[in-house]
Amino acid sequence: MTGTKARPKQDLAQRLAEAEATIEALLSGQIDAVVDSKTQSPVLLFKAQDALRESEERYRRIVETANEGIWTIDTEEKITFVNPRLAEMLGYLPDKMLGRSFLEFIPEASRVPAVKQVERSRDGNSEEIEVKLARNNGAELWVLLKTSPIRDTDGAYIGTLSMMTDRTRHRQDEEALRKSEEQQKKMQSQLMVSDRMASVGTLAAGVAHEINNPLAAVIANLDYITESLRLMISGDSAGVSPTRSNAWLLEEIKTPLDDAREAAQRVRFIVRDLKIFSRSTDDEERGAVNVDAIMESSLRMAWNEIRHRATLVKLYGRVPAVDANEARLGQVFLNLVVNAAQALPAGQAERNEIRVTTRLEGERVVIEVSDTGPGIPPHIIGRIFDAFFTTKAVGVGTGLGLAICQRIVTDMSGTLTVESEVGKGTTFRVSLPLARKKKSDVAPPVELVPAAGRRGRILVVDDEELVVRSVKRILSKEHDVVATVSATEALALCAGGEQFDLILCDLMMPEMTGMDLHRELSLVAPEQADRMIFVTGGAFTEKAWRFLSETPKEHLEKPFASANLRAIVQRYLR
Amino acid sequence: MAKIRASKPGLRLRLYIAGNAPNSLRAITNLKAICDEHFATECVLEIVDLLVHPARALADGIIVTPTLLKLSPLPVQRVIGTLSDTNQVCLALASR
Repeated sequence: MTGTKARPKQDLAQRLAEAEATIEALLSGQIDAVVDSKTQSPVLLFKAQDALRESEERYRRIVETANEGIWTIDTEEKITFVNPRLAEMLGYLPDKMLGRSFLEFIPEASRVPAVKQVERSRDGNSEEIEVKLARNNGAELWVLLKTSPIRDTDGAYIGTLSMMTDRTRHRQDEEALRKSEEQQKKMQSQLMVSDRMASVGTLAAGVAHEINNPLAAVIANLDYITESLRLMISGDSAGVSPTRSNAWLLEEIKTPLDDAREAAQRVRFIVRDLKIFSRSTDDEERGAVNVDAIMESSLRMAWNEIRHRATLVKLYGRVPAVDANEARLGQVFLNLVVNAAQALPAGQAERNEIRVTTRLEGERVVIEVSDTGPGIPPHIIGRIFDAFFTTKAVGVGTGLGLAICQRIVTDMSGTLTVESEVGKGTTFRVSLPLARKKKSDVAPPVELVPAAGRRGRILVVDDEELVVRSVKRILSKEHDVVATVSATEALALCAGGEQFDLILCDLMMPEMTGMDLHRELSLVAPEQADRMIFVTGGAFTEKAWRFLSETPKEHLEKPFASANLRAIVQRYLR
Repeated sequence: MAKIRASKPGLRLRLYIAGNAPNSLRAITNLKAICDEHFATECVLEIVDLLVHPARALADGIIVTPTLLKLSPLPVQRVIGTLSDTNQVCLALASR
């Protein structure tokens, strides 16, 4: 406080008193501004103070309410500050932690990394580490630890500030997430199966129809033939002489026989198609697949859906085989074809078209299924591959079809895309990579061995009497055939010392399966067990699959042509 | 800047403040209360804002605000702070 012109003479004591009063006022915070003696301009204190107070307040609030635990420790590693969050994390009152070594709150195993981190941070290295903290109740807590040094105004190290983020929950979340992903995956695969079953189910009616038609033709023709035979035997055939009757009969029954056979053949094809779609879910193997053939099967399956709604145009590009799983690809095609059909109204087949195209594009095969339906509105098209999204009525679509199709195609390294124009129609496009190796996809050619050969003794075992009878009929001219509908009886025969050159045995039978019989025979008559040839209807269990693949002899698939049956029997009799 | 004139001037006071700063506002309130209570009839109070008239503050040798100057009767007295200690303020103002 220097004298100025305005203060001419003043008592020293008074000036001292004023100086003291000024200092006292400054210390007690009663001062708003000071006059800077150098610049002779006022400096507002209250603003600086307010700003400081505000910023302190802000930091205090941040520290108090932070979701991170925060402590500061001094150079002796004693805790000098704890925020409420950290105290809560560890289960202490903040006051109870002050003055204690921070190591008391870190379990033995985590102490070394924690101390090292404090040291590193002092040297300016601020890496994050995950360490455990020890809670008051003995439990342990995973935290992400970030540390930074505290320095005084001269830059000297006076302690460390640590921030801790609770990772326990995060870790638990990760664990939960992993579990739920696993579950989701499991569910997804279940859904894929159920969707496949649903698509088969949707078509069951159609397939039944497809089977019933040719079956009706078979029955009608057989009835006609039976009637013709009855007429001939009873001599009622409108005065026809016996010599002419043979020619007459042949003429009379040739056409119906051919028709019946052709109709039965159609049933056989349909059942073969069905098999594609009902393969075991474990059968995920991929190989070279003929796209045109699978599409053909899918179209046959969906024919009942298509026929009333659209004319079908097939433009097959005779494309090379793709690397795919037959059953899965069939499921995709079936879905796309049925979707196309369901986009069209029933009863206007001549006005609408479903076009199926296959073609080679570079190293990929492109399959397109187009319809002339109403198209997909732009606001929906982005969602059509989402699971459970459906525009179909409840009960018609599961909303899974396209989601699953896309998943299947993606799994085969392919793509499934859609193009649609409202009022014009929609095209789904599947693009698949070519198969590397060509798999022999065709059924082994029927070996037409001349019937002549050794006459053998053959046992036929099948629970279906019609099959037993027809097999016996076909083979009886060339062999001595013993037939039974019971595996138990077959076992009794062999155990009783009967010898057979060949045993034709059904695989799946209700009481004792072909597999059981084989096992029993191996014990009581091993040489007979070795002579078994298995006949299957295609309804496999995984056990049956494994059994068949371990059996050295080939097996016979129902239905079989009589020539094929005779050829196989001859081959094994040699 | 506000002036309060008493009917019979005798006591001349000048209070230096800094705008609307909280201590300054407190000082004004406290001083007015003291004047009303103890020096109502003989008080002329001048309030000078340091931020508006820094030169005047310099001329009066003011180094902090709020500062109250008792200009007359002499001797000149200074009271620094928010003037919350009424006794101390009265003592300073009554001194002759």
